[in-house]
Amino acid sequence: MDSVQDNPQPYWNPYWAGFGLGLVLLSAFVIMGRGLGASGAFTTATAAAVHAVAPAHAESNSFYAEYLGDGTRSPLKDWLVFEVLGVFAGGFLSAALGHRLRFFIEKGPQIASGPRLALAFTGGAMMAVGAKIALGCTSGQALTGGALLNVGSWAFMLGVFGGAYAVAYFFRKQWR
Amino acid sequence: MYAPFYKYGMFGDEVSLIVAFVIGIGFGFFLERAGFGSARKLAAQFYFTDMAVLKVMFTAIITAMTGLYLLARVGFVDLSMVYLVPTFVVPQIVGGLLLGVGFVIGGYCPGTSCVSAASGRVDGMVYIAGMFAGLLVFGEISRPLEGFLYSTPLGQVTLPAFFHLPYGVLVLAVVLMALVAFAVAEWAEKKTTGTAPDAEGSLTAMPWRLTPVRRLAGAFAVAGVLAVVLGNPYRGNTVEVDTRDLALGAARAQPLAPAKLADWIIQGRNDFTLVDLRTPASYGTYHIPGAQNVPLASLTADVAPRNQTLVLCTDDGAEAAQAWFLLKAEGFRSVYLLAGGLNGWRDQVLYPKAGPETSANDVARLSQVAQYFGGTPQTGVASAAAPPMPVLAPPVAPPIAPAGGTAGPKKKKEGC
Repeated sequence: MDSVQDNPQPYWNPYWAGFGLGLVLLSAFVIMGRGLGASGAFTTATAAAVHAVAPAHAESNSFYAEYLGDGTRSPLKDWLVFEVLGVFAGGFLSAALGHRLRFFIEKGPQIASGPRLALAFTGGAMMAVGAKIALGCTSGQALTGGALLNVGSWAFMLGVFGGAYAVAYFFRKQWR
Repeated sequence: MYAPFYKYGMFGDEVSLIVAFVIGIGFGFFLERAGFGSARKLAAQFYFTDMAVLKVMFTAIITAMTGLYLLARVGFVDLSMVYLVPTFVVPQIVGGLLLGVGFVIGGYCPGTSCVSAASGRVDGMVYIAGMFAGLLVFGEISRPLEGFLYSTPLGQVTLPAFFHLPYGVLVLAVVLMALVAFAVAEWAEKKTTGTAPDAEGSLTAMPWRLTPVRRLAGAFAVAGVLAVVLGNPYRGNTVEVDTRDLALGAARAQPLAPAKLADWIIQGRNDFTLVDLRTPASYGTYHIPGAQNVPLASLTADVAPRNQTLVLCTDDGAEAAQAWFLLKAEGFRSVYLLAGGLNGWRDQVLYPKAGPETSANDVARLSQVAQYFGGTPQTGVASAAAPPMPVLAPPVAPPIAPAGGTAGPKKKKEGC
């Protein structure tokens, strides 16, 4: 995977990619009666990992216990966990078909790799916490709740775009 | 055949995991096709140079929204059965702000980071490691935050319900808002990059021809107008009865043992609604903690979302049966009758009779449960007269440690 693939294909037109994504979301509504998600799977994985290392601690912590279920089956046999495994598979498949598999660190020309990775780590941590506070991330709240006209999801989207545009100027060197 | 298929019991949990994986493949595939494995492409949204995030997100939203509206309107999908994450206004705005800032710093959101890592990007993998770190920290500090996390609750509420507007009007408004946002986004891209967009993939670029992308936008506008004309997408007051299903259901009308219900309440489960069908006067004298009083005459499908488990309690068997049929006909899947009604509750939970053959453990358990609800077990010779119901007061402190380890009125958070 660390070889640079030749001739990566251009990305799709955003309207058609969005249309495809919308049909996937619609099929989740019709088949499952629920939408898409992402951050919940990472929470379940974290809770399961903590449980594996320190079972008593995980069970006494209400945040983890919520994601561990009643103990009758593995907490990893969870809808969102399998969906996110699919996201990895689908992303890999599409990148492979589009000659876009490439092992590298993506960053702007004005930032070194170390700081870029530190910022990626920080951003990941912030978004995980934000997603727990908001009961969802851009998948579970913005996309899913947006299409369901959910009041909280639209409030959430205002927050996301507001927060991002408010600080974008200060981080421009990372990207441009 | 009715949708959502899973909620109508067409397949079980095991199959749902396969469905999850397949849907996930589609999700990841289109995210990667859109270029969302790339942090620079995502971040460009916030510098107005490439507005793909906005275009993809809102196209997906209006595709799913108009599609779901139409499928619900023709009666194929029961919209009330599609899960809605409950609204907590302030935490959701604050969480959103945090996500927005994290987006600019990290370059991904949780879903797109998976695609980024899968296509080989190290920064995407590190972002995922950061998420795990954030969750570990949050797991340790979430307890004191709980008051804030569940503040400003509005329940499961949609914009049409919130603004008291017809559903279709909101569908049209969102479609129009998205189309205007697309035009503004294309204008902004032209301003910041100085290059004219390719006419084939753009909604606004000249020359004016009816390209496929413009047909798609036109179709959304038509669907939005249709939504206003066609009206309410929820199942109406007409009830369709599947007699076979109902007959099969009646044959095994689900009784719920009072002891079981007591366990549910003590465990703090809130995935069920307890409905007391008696008169407000009887309800006022005594009711099971947490019960809602809905006399049979005022019982409608609005009592709870259709995917919620209902437990009915009353002393009148005929009344219970009527309510059970009504709710099953309205499409509720899981309706239990409290076995023996309020009398059963009194005899088995509040004042259970422990005979000489009952083991000491069981007696202790029975008395703990009884005391939780304000009663006492009857040991030795059963008294002739039924003891009075306890005075209506909530238990001071739960004397029993919940079995599952988690208590309190919380639901596993679905959504994301």
